Amino acid sequence: MDLKYVQTTCPYCGTGCSFNLVVKDGKVVGTQPYKRSPVNEGKVCPKGTYAHEFVNSPDRLTKPLIKKDGKFVEATWDEAYDLIAQKFKSYKPDEIACLSSARVSNEENYLLMKLARGVFKTRHIDHCARLCHASTVAGLAASFGSGAMTNSILDIAESKCVFVIGSNTFEQHPLIGRKIVQAKLNGAKVIVFDPRYTPTAKQADLYASFYSGTDVAVLNCLMGEIIRNGWEDKEWVSKRAKGYEELKATVLKDDYLPENVEKISGIAAADLKTAAEWIGTAESSALLYSMGITQHTVGVDNVKSTANLQMLTGNIGRRGGGVNALRGQNNVQGACDMGALPVVFTGYQKVIDEAVHKKFADAWGFPDGICEPKNGYEVTVMFNVLTDNPGELKAMYIMGENPMLSDPDLTHAEHALEQLEFLVVQDIFLTETAQHADVVLPASCYAEKEGTQTSTERRVQMWRKAQDPPGEAKVDWQILSEVGAAMGYADQFPYQSAEEIFNEMASLTPSYHGMNYERLNRPEALHWPCPSEDHPGTPILHIGKCSHPDGMGVMHPIEWKPPAEVPDAEYPYILTTGRCLWHWHTGSMTRRSETLDNEVPTGWIEINTEDAQALGIADKEMVRATSRRGTVDVPAKVTDEIKKGVMFMPFHFKECAANVLTNNALDPIAKIPEFKACAVKVEKITEEA
Amino acid sequence: MVTKGDMFYTWAADADVLKKGECGGAITALQQYALKSGMVDAVLAVKKGADLYDAVPTVITDPAEIAETAGSLHCGTLLLSKLVKDYLDNNKTAKLGVTVKGCDTMGLIELAKRNAVDMDRLLLLGVNCGGSVSPVLARKMIADKFEVDPDLVHKEEIDKGQFIIEYEGGHKGIKIDDLEDEGYGRRSNCRRCLYKVPRQADLACGNWGVIGDKAGNATFVEVCSDKGANLLDAAAKAGAVATEAANPKGIEIRGKVEGAMLNLGNKWRRKDFEALASDLWGTIARETGRCIKCYSCIENCPVCFPVADELKGNSRMVTSGEVPPNPMFHLRRFAHISDSCINCGQCEELCPMDIPLALFSHAVRTEGDTTFEPKLGKAPYTN
Repeated sequence: MDLKYVQTTCPYCGTGCSFNLVVKDGKVVGTQPYKRSPVNEGKVCPKGTYAHEFVNSPDRLTKPLIKKDGKFVEATWDEAYDLIAQKFKSYKPDEIACLSSARVSNEENYLLMKLARGVFKTRHIDHCARLCHASTVAGLAASFGSGAMTNSILDIAESKCVFVIGSNTFEQHPLIGRKIVQAKLNGAKVIVFDPRYTPTAKQADLYASFYSGTDVAVLNCLMGEIIRNGWEDKEWVSKRAKGYEELKATVLKDDYLPENVEKISGIAAADLKTAAEWIGTAESSALLYSMGITQHTVGVDNVKSTANLQMLTGNIGRRGGGVNALRGQNNVQGACDMGALPVVFTGYQKVIDEAVHKKFADAWGFPDGICEPKNGYEVTVMFNVLTDNPGELKAMYIMGENPMLSDPDLTHAEHALEQLEFLVVQDIFLTETAQHADVVLPASCYAEKEGTQTSTERRVQMWRKAQDPPGEAKVDWQILSEVGAAMGYADQFPYQSAEEIFNEMASLTPSYHGMNYERLNRPEALHWPCPSEDHPGTPILHIGKCSHPDGMGVMHPIEWKPPAEVPDAEYPYILTTGRCLWHWHTGSMTRRSETLDNEVPTGWIEINTEDAQALGIADKEMVRATSRRGTVDVPAKVTDEIKKGVMFMPFHFKECAANVLTNNALDPIAKIPEFKACAVKVEKITEEA
Repeated sequence: MVTKGDMFYTWAADADVLKKGECGGAITALQQYALKSGMVDAVLAVKKGADLYDAVPTVITDPAEIAETAGSLHCGTLLLSKLVKDYLDNNKTAKLGVTVKGCDTMGLIELAKRNAVDMDRLLLLGVNCGGSVSPVLARKMIADKFEVDPDLVHKEEIDKGQFIIEYEGGHKGIKIDDLEDEGYGRRSNCRRCLYKVPRQADLACGNWGVIGDKAGNATFVEVCSDKGANLLDAAAKAGAVATEAANPKGIEIRGKVEGAMLNLGNKWRRKDFEALASDLWGTIARETGRCIKCYSCIENCPVCFPVADELKGNSRMVTSGEVPPNPMFHLRRFAHISDSCINCGQCEELCPMDIPLALFSHAVRTEGDTTFEPKLGKAPYTN
């Protein structure tokens, strides 16, 4: 008779909830609450309740696969490593690109970063943060000098006004949604602006639907109202902010008067005024956003505008305030922190900074040096280069990512991958992307390894091993070390444990410098920055001063620009995309979780009742949605809970993949695609001859 | 010869157990004896995890490891009943010793009524429980109300109506009533609980009524079954524990403590249920309106018996994937557990949206108990 609990951190969203995995006879068989977690107190969302269900799926990858004559053949690890080493040695550094993963640990991201820059010597490394919060990293860094969520999750419950724009918190970060509820029970006003009447919107004191892509106009309008009424925090603005006069001149333009913004956004002028008053006069006001703000060609502008509003009202460095950029994936914060980005090493130390470059080169000790100190390509640029300049990039190493379902304009993404001469994919399932690979390496899931991950509130928490990986599958850091060794750099990858990798990373990373496994094994763990071993960590950033060298916050005057593609006569509707509570991104884990898959077995397109009537479409009817990039057949969900003229599709489902339709137009700074707005038409499917 | 109904002061004979255990370490010694003597094959109990706010269930087969479970953790709000059903009763042969609070006991009774656990194979060592405090709230309470760093606390107890902490450099007690009036203190289901002495376990153990020189050094044990009598008898004969008849004055005091706790429970019932009655449908609609359908209330309920696949698919009234779900999602659960909710509070404590689910189902149960004949027979406990 045995029963073992292994306390660990959830592998899904960026909230950082903990639970126990129940282990019997060496296998994970269930989850149980971990009530001591300060983040979630034992409570979990549906994905957490059933987070064990995919772990021992029968189709987990258990052996390395090598593609021969178009078919995968099982291989030994040595055969796979030999082939990888032989191929990668034959390419020049600039011909190789790596995609790291927001799904794996900090240690593993650090190691792929080291493999890319030290072994392959390429400057091209990125990961899917490009597709979710690249604009946050760029926008908040420009505003505050640090590109992360400013406050902590627990702090949201202390707020007196919670303004949610571009986040369906109840479905995407449910245990942060709880903090909104707690704030509300403590007397806070809750404002939700969203094109859809989401479960989050249903809890709001003030809800308004608006057209996707009009965020800057809305935020400028709120700031204009606040200034006209004298609700701005004059002390904050005068002592801590730069650029106030320029911002003021912009937001006070007639274009941003409530009556004019009503026409652009679809939010009634009265609601805009109410929101401005609540935000402007609250003792503290927290702004929560997510992909609704970031996934636009104006993503960085949107992010800077949220920062403008929070600085204007003195809600930076204040309890219950902040720009709370809710990071999507379990470890997307960590993957960025680990330097799995084309412009930085760990802790956002710039690759073009020669002193930083030398520090890493010296510490790693590669006898033949590391990549040149130049910025590399973003994932979206890599894919464009593949299609637009064939032959420039030849080989790619992808760990735990599935761009064949997650990238915009999937036809383009597939075409790009087909240009590669050699593709290695390291994953736990044979995903849509892995099917394109030349070598597939069977990896481990969260339940099978030690390591750390960093949640949206910069809290660094442990994963703990509950069972062995299936078959011959290996833990990811071990695979990366062995690839490094196969390439001839065994001395640079001598690791016997994840902890050794963490310690090496922390020694090179000021914001993680004071962390070690002993400290992180406390239930409270630590928030970065944590510069020394006696430092308690930093739940709230920018108290007293911002992170720019001069300590000031920077306000940016921003003009509203429409999305890259707007409705016209041929494609008359705005399509926006997102996730649902039951599934995770490309569904490789959740669609293999029986309970979650039962609950929501396929995708849909949400159509406003009036639009459906005009189109002659009934609820649940299979319809054809088309954009300039492609066509998908998808069941209609006819509802009053979406704004007229706007349609919504979840992107989890390959059989009706929303990203066949989405637009690969990029934000000029962050290179994030505009997943949240493109133009589509929807038609009845008529009998074909 | 020990017989059902006897009451003893009991303490461990082993010096080490005496030191590690609380109040004489009787439970630790009895579990150890049960395991050593083969009366049970394994023991399910709770041990301290990261700190005293972290209670971890553990299954022990080596008697030497029993000492890890010594002592009480009032911030452990676990329910063990469903663990027995889901993970430990499946080989249908092993005998299991379990240390149980009132809610664990009631949960097992309800499971046994439904043939989901076999009571003949369980040896239940009951512990009196005046209620428990959720760990994160306990830390906040200690920081805010006691003004002590919760990490510095090395012992907590609930005694004589006070929550008492010991920490480096001192100890402090605050009246539970005062804490609870400000939203701290015990879980709300615990406040309403009327099952403080688990007399349906095999032994009911606690410190209430231990007076004189034995105060703090012995456990009051009430023998509640023949199985319990056998264990105590054999353990005493084997020299694992020492016993003496409980002091009659102590028995009287124990009765008074229990009575005071029940009065307090009734006071909270009145308060909670009357407030709910004032706007019953409105409250239920408002609170369940933020449900995210995580199934925690079902998965963690000791008396929920879902038809596995049916529950998670479409029904006529509850559409799958819909959040918040149709109110029938909750209504059918309340109906399902209407005559068996034991008010263990797990549904409420584990609800990610803080819906007071235990309040609703406990109200249904208690009102039902006063109105209808229970279909599965009258429960041997009162809650």
